[in-house]
Amino acid sequence: MSDTHDPADRTYAVLPVKNTVLFPGLFLPLSVGRPASRAAVDAAVATEDKTLVVVAQRDNDQEAPGLADLFPVGTIGVIKKMARGQEGVEVLVQGAGRVRLIETVQREPFLRANVLPLPMPAGGGEQVEALFRTVLDAARRVLELARPQADVDVNQFLAQAPNPVQLAYLIASMLGIDVIKEQALLEAESPEVALQLILEHLTHETRVLELRNQIAAKAQQEMTKEQRDYWLRQQLRAIQDELGETTPEKAEVGELRQRMQEADLPDHVRKEAERELGRLERLPAAAPDFQVTRTYLELVLELPWKKGSDGKIDLAAAKEVLDADHFDLERVKERILEHLAVLKLNPKAKAPIMCLVGPPGVGKTSLGQSIARATGRVFERLSLGGMHDESELRGHRRTYIGAMPGRLIQAVRRAGVNNPVLMLDEIDKLGRDYRGDPGAALLEILDPAQNHTFRDNYLDLPFDLSNVLFICTANALDTLSAPLLDRLEILRLSGYAETEKVEIARRYLIPRQVKETGLPDGSFHLPDETVRRLVMRYTREAGVRQLEQTIGRLARKVAVRFAQGTTEPVTIRPEDLGELLGPERFTPEEARKTMPPGVATGLAWTEAGGDVLYIEASLLPGSKGLKLTGQLGEVMRESAAIARSLMISQAPRFGIDPLTVRRTGVHIHVPAGAVPKDGPSAGVTMVTALASLFTNTPARSDTAMTGEVTLTGLVLPIGGVKEKVLAARRAGIRRVVLPKANEKDIRDVPEPVRSEMSFFFAETVDDVLAQTIPQSANRIGVVTADGVRTNGPAVPTAAQAGTTGG
Amino acid sequence: MHRDRILRSCFLCPPAEDRGWQPPLDIYELNDGWLLKADLAGIRPDEVTVSLQGRTVTLRGHRRDLSVAEGCAHYRMEIAYSSFERSVELPADPGGDARVQTDYRDGMLLVRIRRGNSHS
Repeated sequence: MSDTHDPADRTYAVLPVKNTVLFPGLFLPLSVGRPASRAAVDAAVATEDKTLVVVAQRDNDQEAPGLADLFPVGTIGVIKKMARGQEGVEVLVQGAGRVRLIETVQREPFLRANVLPLPMPAGGGEQVEALFRTVLDAARRVLELARPQADVDVNQFLAQAPNPVQLAYLIASMLGIDVIKEQALLEAESPEVALQLILEHLTHETRVLELRNQIAAKAQQEMTKEQRDYWLRQQLRAIQDELGETTPEKAEVGELRQRMQEADLPDHVRKEAERELGRLERLPAAAPDFQVTRTYLELVLELPWKKGSDGKIDLAAAKEVLDADHFDLERVKERILEHLAVLKLNPKAKAPIMCLVGPPGVGKTSLGQSIARATGRVFERLSLGGMHDESELRGHRRTYIGAMPGRLIQAVRRAGVNNPVLMLDEIDKLGRDYRGDPGAALLEILDPAQNHTFRDNYLDLPFDLSNVLFICTANALDTLSAPLLDRLEILRLSGYAETEKVEIARRYLIPRQVKETGLPDGSFHLPDETVRRLVMRYTREAGVRQLEQTIGRLARKVAVRFAQGTTEPVTIRPEDLGELLGPERFTPEEARKTMPPGVATGLAWTEAGGDVLYIEASLLPGSKGLKLTGQLGEVMRESAAIARSLMISQAPRFGIDPLTVRRTGVHIHVPAGAVPKDGPSAGVTMVTALASLFTNTPARSDTAMTGEVTLTGLVLPIGGVKEKVLAARRAGIRRVVLPKANEKDIRDVPEPVRSEMSFFFAETVDDVLAQTIPQSANRIGVVTADGVRTNGPAVPTAAQAGTTGG
Repeated sequence: MHRDRILRSCFLCPPAEDRGWQPPLDIYELNDGWLLKADLAGIRPDEVTVSLQGRTVTLRGHRRDLSVAEGCAHYRMEIAYSSFERSVELPADPGGDARVQTDYRDGMLLVRIRRGNSHS
């Protein structure tokens, strides 16, 4: 018989183990890797009874532990199975009895020690019995919690333990408690201590497991709620199928749900959309709300909540695009490029809102398209002309029948991205009535600080418009409210000069029209002189729209000839125009060759560019006061009154009898009579007309003038210098008198025009009269005393023209 | 780990205190008693004792690792050595005068138990 149970007076090979303890009566599989431990196993296997002592080591990092590094109490283990593998030796050890390690017998090649056998803890009594039962109950509880679907009968299994200590060992090995506690259990001298230890641990384990199960159960619950919803929805569908309620409309609802799951929506939008969809699913297809809700959901799903086009900005390319699409407009292009540069450096920058102001046909809309092309964004246009209902811009609330989203949201939906270039065309033509002011709604839309949460009445969800690049266009800014103007960055596009128009026609309009009519290349020639005549006599406008239409007409007429068989290239000379287009529509605004006293040449700014304006004045002997005709506005009437007062107050200086002025009535007329006119810039012209009238001296017919006049005779600056100068040039007038303060604006006038004209800058009325009524200069004493100019005939000297023109 | 420990404990834990290893055995019912067949290879028949006490048959013995004595070292060890003890209950009491006869053939220990006259 073996002496396993009687290890007295024996030395054993010692196998130190990490993290675990071998309990008597239980099995422990071990993986042995350390050379010393392998030597110990080898030695044990070579003995008759295959025994060694298994002891837990105190410190896991100790690789060659001595007796001091081990716990003092270990277990005799019988090696039941052993196999060598690549990594080390696998052994299955069964615990036999407890031993106390006494002293080291050998260190190399493995630890061998002298041991003192310890008896199994024994004893009984009521307390042990009570503890034993408590531990059993607690262990059952733990095992149930740990493995609710245990395929092993826990009770039966625990009942196998022959005595309380063995039960404690069994439970400890099952729970996997830490090595210090296991060791304490192994060292326990009585069943009471052992059971106490294990009970403590079981109680702790029970709490932990209960907590864990609670957490798991909660997670499970949340998970199952979603599954439950899904399952119920499936059932609902099945029931509806069964009832024959699945109409095409309902199928669309399913499609909507599908699309919603795929759509990339912000959280708050998804929440709202889910709610609406839920409502839709419950509604019968015949309900009026069904279509309303469906249309609404389609809008929500189609809006580009997060989708933007990749707006990479290449400044060089943008400049190329702008130059290719538009002639000149240097300053406007420069400012557009500045905007783009800012957007490139800081894509999060609040996009500035540009407003292109200028007469019709100068290319505002197409400039917007070019900006979109230059920035690689989608272009959408929204015409505000004639819009007078705020709801049209901001949408109707869904409670109304036939409600629709506002034009703005519709434009974004059409664009399909949330950062398009959005052109608000004709912003100055917004109407307003009792239903609201769309201009006020624009205030919110165009404010970068507010428009990131734009709320359309129909959509009723905040939509971020801050990435949209807004561009407005207007012909004039008079009708815009001050707060709206404040939000806009004004870029003025003035009319084109004749030379510019010829250039534009050659570069863009003629090739485009040739292409549209399908004429072969090189078959249609329109020399510059012909274009010039077209511009002067047929299409009097600031822009080039009519010019392009007229060129189109010419091209079509040529196309007819080609269709009839002509193959010769056609060149249209200026004299052919009468035959092709009919009589000239505008006689050139040529300067009146002779002007009677009382007539002066003024310059006016109109939306179509500049115009020459003759102001006629005549005496009304026997009547009093001032009579004004020609649809004059309030400001212009005041200008006339100022001019007359100036005559009365300073009559002696002009060599006029004050009594004549006071006693005789004056009539001022500004043709053409049917066109409304307003503004202060005709002041100097009225003064000149009156001075000419009262001195009975005709004003110079080759000189045009513009400028505001004050009651003391000062000349104040006016706007639209370029247009006015161009108008004078068109009329064949070569001398222009301008306010001194407008000298800087001459730079805007194109160079060819500038060099063939003479400019005179006036600070006071006297300066004006010196240039316009030279014959009277002799009689106007103050002027002669001026000392700046000579009294000679006021024909400009070369020097004067040179300095002012440059 | 937890689960492994529980399973291991379940299947490997001996029902009682250590009695060494346990040989597997078959029991056949015969007309006049029972035949026990125990898988006891590598054991000298003289190192096995068979005892019958009431219905309980007990096999005790010892399997020595002779190869170790010859100076061999283990590369793998699966055979259980050292002492063994196996008790099994017969379905019925064979009676006090039952006869027990053992035979060792091809590594199997055959124990034939004939019922005594008191039960027949």
